[in-house]
Amino acid sequence: MLHMRQLSRVYRTDTVETTALDAIDLDIHDGEFVAIMGPSGCGKSTLLNLMGMLDSPSSGSYVFNGQEVAGLSEARLAQVRKANIGFIFQSFNLVDELTVRENVELALLYHDAAASERKRRTDEVMDRVGIAHRARHRPSQLSGGQQQRVAVARALVASPKLILADEPTGNLDTNHGEEVMRMLQSLNAQGSTIVMVTHSPAHADYAGRVVNMLDGRILQERRRAA
Amino acid sequence: MWRNYLLVGMRALAKSRAYAAINIVGLALGLAACVMILLYVRYETSYDDWMEGADNAFQVQTYYSATETGGEEMKLQMSGIVTGRALKKDYPAQVEEVVWVRGFGPIVIQDGQAGEIEDLRMVDGDLFRIFRVPFVRGSREAALPDTNSIALSESEAKRRFGNADPIGKTLTIVDNTGNIDYRVTGVFKDFPKNSHFTANAVARFDLGVQFADRLDATTDWDNQQGWNYVRLRSPADADLIHANMPAWEKRNIPDTNVGGQRSNPGEVQDYRLVNVRDVHLGEAQDASVTPGNDRFTVATFAVIALLVLGMACVNFTNLATARASQRAREVALRKVLGASRKQLITQFLGESLLVAALAMVVALAAVELLLPTFNAFLDADIALDYFGANGVLLPLVALVLLVGVLAGLYPAFYLARFEPAKILKANKSAADAQGSGRLRNVLVVGQFAVSIALIICTAIIYAQTVYARTVDAGYKRDGLLQVGNLGFRGVEPGMDQAVTEQIRRIPGVRSAARTQIAVNPGNNSMTSIYPPNSTQGQEIGNYSVEAGFFDTMGMRIVAGRDFSEAQGRDDRTVPFPSTEEEREAAVRAIVQRGLNVVLTREAARRLGYRDPAAAVGQNLRASIFSSEEYGLTPITVVGVVEDARFRSIRDPLQPIVYTMRRNGFGDIMVRFSGDPNAIRSQVEQVWKRNVAQVPFGAEFADDIVREQYDRDEARGQLFAAFAVLAVVIGCLGLFGLAAFTAERRTKEIGIRKVLGARTRDIVRLLVWQFSRPVLVANLIAWPLAWWLMRDWLNGFDNRIELTPTPFVVAGLLALVIAIVTVGGHAYRVAQTSPVRALRYE
Repeated sequence: MLHMRQLSRVYRTDTVETTALDAIDLDIHDGEFVAIMGPSGCGKSTLLNLMGMLDSPSSGSYVFNGQEVAGLSEARLAQVRKANIGFIFQSFNLVDELTVRENVELALLYHDAAASERKRRTDEVMDRVGIAHRARHRPSQLSGGQQQRVAVARALVASPKLILADEPTGNLDTNHGEEVMRMLQSLNAQGSTIVMVTHSPAHADYAGRVVNMLDGRILQERRRAA
Repeated sequence: MWRNYLLVGMRALAKSRAYAAINIVGLALGLAACVMILLYVRYETSYDDWMEGADNAFQVQTYYSATETGGEEMKLQMSGIVTGRALKKDYPAQVEEVVWVRGFGPIVIQDGQAGEIEDLRMVDGDLFRIFRVPFVRGSREAALPDTNSIALSESEAKRRFGNADPIGKTLTIVDNTGNIDYRVTGVFKDFPKNSHFTANAVARFDLGVQFADRLDATTDWDNQQGWNYVRLRSPADADLIHANMPAWEKRNIPDTNVGGQRSNPGEVQDYRLVNVRDVHLGEAQDASVTPGNDRFTVATFAVIALLVLGMACVNFTNLATARASQRAREVALRKVLGASRKQLITQFLGESLLVAALAMVVALAAVELLLPTFNAFLDADIALDYFGANGVLLPLVALVLLVGVLAGLYPAFYLARFEPAKILKANKSAADAQGSGRLRNVLVVGQFAVSIALIICTAIIYAQTVYARTVDAGYKRDGLLQVGNLGFRGVEPGMDQAVTEQIRRIPGVRSAARTQIAVNPGNNSMTSIYPPNSTQGQEIGNYSVEAGFFDTMGMRIVAGRDFSEAQGRDDRTVPFPSTEEEREAAVRAIVQRGLNVVLTREAARRLGYRDPAAAVGQNLRASIFSSEEYGLTPITVVGVVEDARFRSIRDPLQPIVYTMRRNGFGDIMVRFSGDPNAIRSQVEQVWKRNVAQVPFGAEFADDIVREQYDRDEARGQLFAAFAVLAVVIGCLGLFGLAAFTAERRTKEIGIRKVLGARTRDIVRLLVWQFSRPVLVANLIAWPLAWWLMRDWLNGFDNRIELTPTPFVVAGLLALVIAIVTVGGHAYRVAQTSPVRALRYE
């Protein structure tokens, strides 16, 4: 599904140059569940942002679905992104002013879907993650686990090929964390490709492959015995 | 502690420069407008305050009430000569001095050169005992000791005599009885511009001599051709005189006999003594010495100034609360470290006072720069003095305190309310309380409501002014030159006719005719017309014209015929010069014979004829000549002419009966084609050749009409200036709000972008958010502006329709301006990378 070759990302300010990613080579195939681990500041999130085309690499090649995306314009990237990728964030990133249903539907608003189609898919996905009964609540009225389920529903509603999760359990207690992980696992079992950044070795164990990073490089990869 | 506050305040301003600039500039604009307008309001209300003894100086004003028979309501600053004299006779204990000022300034000859003195005031007593103006040469007490003495203003003295001492010099005035020498006795300081009375020269003339041939003018209560000024021993005496006024009028005003009907002019007249300081903004503005103003206009401007200042304060409040989130951590920390709410409120109020003070400095700089232009525009001499009796320093300091506290109070309380535990625990800067967003929206709505209402008012005032200038006046305005000054002594009998005939021969001149009524006439003459078998007369305007006048003016005859010199009965000429006996004989002959007249369409309607043709051939009676002596004159309507609007369209259209004569005119109307200036200079040559001793005064009808509406236009321009200012301040506020709201919504925008929103989706979202309050503002602005403008338009006899167009256009304009204001910012925000946006959380 995606192939990264010698991919680098350098941040520059007036005085300092920080290399966040240093010549990464990484391949991810359809249907995989990959966990990315490493200490704070090792470049996990930067890698995920590049993968999700929220950020552009400083150098190197990134082929997504057979298409080189490293040099594409922002508008073009947005198109590729919204057609293929769903995001789940540590801090949920729900819009406080919108209800649960509206938050989920938001992902479809930019997809030119008809209103009836949007409603059907929103209902379906809310049902799937078990938050249909909370559809009219505001995010602030939900528990952390429920909020993350809304975020998952929003990531799923446009049926993306790839789901990127940036520490999806970071803000959750153990029980809720486990719940979200089981949900991701079942999504993966149903065919979704998932890349997840996490600090928790226990949660990394849900993934089929774990990539360890340090100082902008991939330190080691290991596959979980099937 | 204060040092810390000041330091933090300054750094907070320095940290967000854009915010500081919007705040200070916005507030400064509001303050500058407010200071300018308050100076203007103070100036308008300060008229004649400068004059020593103003408390005891009064103008006698005449109030006519409207009558069922067509008598117009009039509020005159003028009053009859007899009025002042009767007051003096009946109130010797109260009235110290009465002086009558003639409304007409004759020609002045100096060293054989004839010319005019602008605002030459002919007085029948010592005016300076009432108007105690300072003197530069001679003394006030000795300035007008007797008749044939004249005092000059400082600038007139300089104009006429340079630096030489004018005292004892001679000026010759061409009056009724011929040339009379006046001795210069003193030079007074120019009247300041904030005076209702102006004079470049004051000459004491002998009323008994100059009015010997028209003694009726000195006893007629209905004859106003000048102003009476009275000095009372005590200001309170005015109340006493007013209390006795009805009885006094009854006692003094004799009955008149018109058409066999005895009536008393006192029934429709009322007299008031108005203190000179109250004349400028007073009720009576007809036949005024100088153009006055009305309290409503001044109050309107004061209200607008306060609104503009209010808008600036609202901006401040808005931005301060919008920005509160950025100060939340500071507040929380200060509270944790032991600051009380009171201390925090003091701190933030102090900051807003600091901003207000900085803004005031900027505002004063702006006022100093703009004041000369403003003065030139208003023809005023408004001064900005900081110290002294009229010093504005204290009021300005008060204004800074007021604005600082008003604008800062809410944000101060709002900020001081933050709960530290929540803010620090959440470890976030966004501590936006529910509801404050709504308040900000309400404030933005208010601002734009004011802006939109001002735009609408500007548009309507402008449209009405244009309409007034261009509306069909019933005569053709272009290619029409109006030559005045025929009424001056110095235009020998017969000379006006000779001049007119020579003008007709100028190539390019199509026709010329003399008239008693011209465009923007200073005179008003009425007569009563009685239908057959009726003793109830209708009050109709009464003017004489020369044959060919209607043709020259381009006024259409709608029924019957025009005047004709061939028709003997059309002619009402009384020979001049003539002896009293000759005159009387001529008048009796006309009254005996009867007179053909032409009515205007409106006059025919007032007299009860449903269409103009029905009036033609009708025999009526009119008090064309003094009916006391001669009785009513039988008149026959031979024609009806289209109404012509000679006066301002503020005044009701006057019904007129025209008569034809050959002498006694004030103006020549000249119809021409070709280069106007060439025609004017040729007419001037003709004038100079024939009447060199009388100044040439000619204006194009177009220009006269434009001048009639100068004041309305100036008002429109002031409104426009305020509208622009209000819009700018509103936009500054909107821009600031957009900036901060965008910042607050950064996360949301990031999420939307991650989910696939394009830049233009985000721009649309933000622009819509800020368009809504502007749209809502229309709902408030429209009825407000409609109500205001309906009232204003009602002041015009002839006015534009209030259509929805200016309302819709103003709303759209405000919307476009708002979109442009926030659009740029929204675009920038929409372009930020979502990664940055989401990291912000």
